[in-house]
Amino acid sequence: MASAQSNRLAKGGLIDRNAPLSFTFDGKAMIGYAGDTLASALVANGVTLVGRSFKYHRPRGILTAGPEEPNALVELRSGARREANTKATTAELYDGLDALSQNRWPSLGFDVMSVNSLLSPIFVAGFYYKTFMWPAKFWEKLYEPAIRRAAGLGRTSGIADPDHYEKAWAHCDVLVVGSGPAGLAAALAAGRTGARVILAEEDRLAGGRLNSDGGEIDGMPAGEWLAGALAELEALPNVRIMTRTAVFGVYDGGTYGALERVNDHLPVPPVHQPRQRLWRIVAKRCVVAAGAIERPIVFSGNDRPGVMMASAVRTYVERFAAAPGKRLALFTNNDDGWKTVEAAHRAGIEIAAVIDSRKDLSQHHRALAQSGGFAVHNGVVVDVKGGKTGVSGVEIALANGGSAQIAADVLAMSGGWNPSVGLSSHHRGRPKWREDIAAFVPEGAPAGMLSAGAANGDFSLSACLRTGHEAGLAAASDLGFKGRAGKAPAASDEAISISPLWHVEGRKKGFVDFQHDVTASDIALAQREGFESVEHLKRYTTLGMATDQGKNSNVTGLAIMSELTRRSIPQTGTTIYRPPHVPVAIGAFAGHHRDENFHSVRLTPSHHWAAERGAVFVDTGLWKRAQWYPIAGENDWLTSVNREVLTVRNGVGFCDVSTLGKIDVMGKDAGAFLDRVYINAFASLAVGKARYGLMLREDGIVMDDGTTSRLAEDHYFLTTTTAKAGPVMQYLEFCRQVLWPELDVQLTSCTDQWAQFSIAGPKTRDLLREIVDPAEDLSNEGFPFMGVREVRLRGGMFARLFRISFSGEMAFEISVPARYGDAMARNLMKAGEPFGVVPYGTEALGVMRIEKGHIAGAELNGTTTADDLGLGKMMSKKKDFVGRVMAGREALTAPDRQVVVGLKPVDKARRLRSGAHIIPKGAAVGPDTDQGYVTSVCHSPMLGQWIGLGLVERGRERIGEIVRAHDPLRGEDYYVEICNPVFYDPEGGRQRG
Amino acid sequence: MADFTWTTRSPLQQAVIAGRHGAAIAKAGIRLSEIRDFDLVQVFARRGQWAATAKAAKAYFGVAAPTGPKAVTGKKGVLVWSGADQFMALSPRLGTIQPVDGLRGVFEGFASLSDQSDGRCLIRLSGPRVREMLAKVNSLDLHDGVFPIGAAATTSIDHTAVNLWRDADAPDGSPVFNVLVFSSFADSLWHTLVDSAAEYGIEVETVSIAVD
Repeated sequence: MASAQSNRLAKGGLIDRNAPLSFTFDGKAMIGYAGDTLASALVANGVTLVGRSFKYHRPRGILTAGPEEPNALVELRSGARREANTKATTAELYDGLDALSQNRWPSLGFDVMSVNSLLSPIFVAGFYYKTFMWPAKFWEKLYEPAIRRAAGLGRTSGIADPDHYEKAWAHCDVLVVGSGPAGLAAALAAGRTGARVILAEEDRLAGGRLNSDGGEIDGMPAGEWLAGALAELEALPNVRIMTRTAVFGVYDGGTYGALERVNDHLPVPPVHQPRQRLWRIVAKRCVVAAGAIERPIVFSGNDRPGVMMASAVRTYVERFAAAPGKRLALFTNNDDGWKTVEAAHRAGIEIAAVIDSRKDLSQHHRALAQSGGFAVHNGVVVDVKGGKTGVSGVEIALANGGSAQIAADVLAMSGGWNPSVGLSSHHRGRPKWREDIAAFVPEGAPAGMLSAGAANGDFSLSACLRTGHEAGLAAASDLGFKGRAGKAPAASDEAISISPLWHVEGRKKGFVDFQHDVTASDIALAQREGFESVEHLKRYTTLGMATDQGKNSNVTGLAIMSELTRRSIPQTGTTIYRPPHVPVAIGAFAGHHRDENFHSVRLTPSHHWAAERGAVFVDTGLWKRAQWYPIAGENDWLTSVNREVLTVRNGVGFCDVSTLGKIDVMGKDAGAFLDRVYINAFASLAVGKARYGLMLREDGIVMDDGTTSRLAEDHYFLTTTTAKAGPVMQYLEFCRQVLWPELDVQLTSCTDQWAQFSIAGPKTRDLLREIVDPAEDLSNEGFPFMGVREVRLRGGMFARLFRISFSGEMAFEISVPARYGDAMARNLMKAGEPFGVVPYGTEALGVMRIEKGHIAGAELNGTTTADDLGLGKMMSKKKDFVGRVMAGREALTAPDRQVVVGLKPVDKARRLRSGAHIIPKGAAVGPDTDQGYVTSVCHSPMLGQWIGLGLVERGRERIGEIVRAHDPLRGEDYYVEICNPVFYDPEGGRQRG
Repeated sequence: MADFTWTTRSPLQQAVIAGRHGAAIAKAGIRLSEIRDFDLVQVFARRGQWAATAKAAKAYFGVAAPTGPKAVTGKKGVLVWSGADQFMALSPRLGTIQPVDGLRGVFEGFASLSDQSDGRCLIRLSGPRVREMLAKVNSLDLHDGVFPIGAAATTSIDHTAVNLWRDADAPDGSPVFNVLVFSSFADSLWHTLVDSAAEYGIEVETVSIAVD
């Protein structure tokens, strides 16, 4: 049976008492209401102990009511959806929610590791650095894992996240961050002028502190005004309100990162819906109205469960109708803290006392104390009494030197407010200190950004409304919007007074950073040991490095350091602010791009036909290519590949080569253009002929190769390797637009326009004669090697036919518009049936090119020159071309360069492996004797052994030499013979046959 | 000798499944259509010949060629700007002949022509939720005031290069966007579009191109 909501107030709150929700915390069943957060439901159920701290495993309670929460971190959900370190203060309650406390064993109430707290004299700042220094090799394997187990936070599920995340873009004139009074006033002002406004609110509800603090605006209760403002904004077509959306970062060009928790408030997202959505909001102007964060005061026992931020107490009481205690004491140094007493008093919570560090009490507060019947002490809290489940009383040092004991079960503390300067500091802005409010305000904000309201240090309701309105109007009018913005909403002025108090010396630990267990004495130690700079302080003590990123602690920490070093706070300075301002799940950054959607996939025109035949596909870049086509009875790839190679070499086969990059190069100067980008001549190429070409980078290294054909006087058809299709197109466009704009040349990528197949083998002509119109002459005379022309096909089709060969066999490439690619594959099978045709994949293609010593990506690897590849003679001496001059550099023409050679193991049964290093026979292995490496290997069915290509120092002078192939990666070492890279048909008679 | 038939196959043939997909909402928020049977020719003015090319385009298509990111509709086709001095001419398929042959006479001496009829797939997106769906995969501001009817862009959808332009609104008043995508990416892109649209409910169809 669920426990009663012992601390739920009888009335009030933005909760739906008609919608009870069941949930569990550490297995205990409880009830909350729709509108609750997990934290408010725990408060309503009288739960005070919610977690254990990171280092000392100290019992901790709920400190805040917002996204800055350092203590109340839980594991939410179960199974694959289990998520660690979820803030109970922002987790919306849903029916069936299961939460577990973290970092405790065996239970939250009894935690073995809390012994750390007793050992705290040794767990000081820098403890790990000092203690686990030696021996260094123990760190990775022993110390770090042990420390992580002891100090860990929550556990991840270890299972793939079953939910879907996505990313989206939004655009607006004015982005308003935060929908409190300042944000609403800004959105109204900008929206009324006609500007496109996005109002982003992290919470489920718009309204910000209005939902907790109430007040009166334009003569109405704040809630009523809020409803009216939202109704007006919702009615404006140019305004978009995005709730559950936290803006977490400012990026270049007015782009803002935001995380929308679309379905975090449900156990499981509805089908087809994402769990979270990562927004990139492009905004011309931004108004940051993100409010401020109340800061704790550092004193002995300030981390005891039941010590809570004053504003959080107010939020639980007013917004959630949940009382954090029955008898409340307040420790404050400012006026705002007193509002909590007012709210608690209204709600019927007994006020034990107010401890105000300031001497002078205002008339208003004196009257309040009188009517509430509670004492006001001028002094400070020096200790908090109680146990792990709560506060029982506080000990006070009075300003007059005396002391007092107060019985209370909840202590609200208020050390003043820190404006949210995170976003405004994301472009290296350094916040500016304001003495009057004892806080940093934005300075050096990114272009187009204004801050308003509490985020800018204007804390009163009237100032929030006024400055919000002004900022919204300024942003819109700056963009030229001239519509009427109306008047700023008005509220009565209130006193804002603060007298800084950061730290009360005490006998016990006073915590600065609750989540990382950084105490005031850790800061003192860091100072004593020379880590005075705030950046050093941060790393040495881990202050501000927890999941809350120091939202509660950074300013207090540096203020304490400034006291210790007798420097001012501005002199001490702040650490650098970087995105993300709130934690963002990696899944949200990945969005849709996971599993089969990791990247887009390109399919060849014959893909579905190949899939029907059971082809095995391989990823080559984005492409899926058929790697081999197993047939019945073949169980290993080598059998299939050997069969494909032998069939091609002895009969005929075909392969989809549509993935090669294809570019139409057109215009009067197309030939001149190609002469400049290729090392060899193309202007002189006859119409109807193809030529192999090589391109260099500007530095003289080979960029790419391919066959380019001249289809007409002013039309060349250029091909690239599959891998370089995109880069070569970009590069040629650069040449055309930037280097030689005077040339009349037009480039169009047509890679996807044409389905292209290589048909190879001695029976290629036999196959072609079946499918090509009988009138076409395919003889050596009628269609010579490297000839190109359009031919008619049987059945009323045309095709481009290229007599080029990569396999070294008699071969043609045939090309048809891509929509006929599937039909072409089927028709080639039909036409080749009498000749035993087979389709072959990229493996067989690779085997045949290695047997022929043709270079490919492994040799065109960004380190080789034309001469390294054995193509030095192609470099024209009659013309200039890109890379010519730099290719002549000493190092690129040195005689001892590594050049392409053939390699074959001396032991014919041995498998050759890519990556093996070439070492001279008899030499010791080492960098000085390393003379190259194996680049490409295959099993050659023609030679009956493994063969390969490699880059070897002075290789061409060493044909016949036996060297070592040293392969430390695989633990192999064997002898290979350097040989001519053309293993098969070195005279080239077969392809000309 | 065997007989050969030349059946065409769209790169989207397997991916496109006509009918309702995604969330079961009464009226689909997204209409996804594969547009087939078009000729598409890249028209690229020769150096210094843009004026002559534009004039020739006007005479043949009945509409001035776009000089900026726009798509204009003439009596014989739609001209979609694709870069400086170039546009793509989209028109109903005339037959199995190469479409550049039909235009060669029109632009002889002024422009280079490259057949792209098979190099691209044409996908049309419409429906009341289409902007929300496109916001998931494209970074452009497609607001009515920024991207009006006839606006065009060379942009990307989910990292895949596309030509995007806005067509006349659908009869129900919702905006219509056309996407030309490289054929080899079409299958993959289609699945991404379906995933992005699923929460709004999708109506999928295949239609032949019509120019009005």
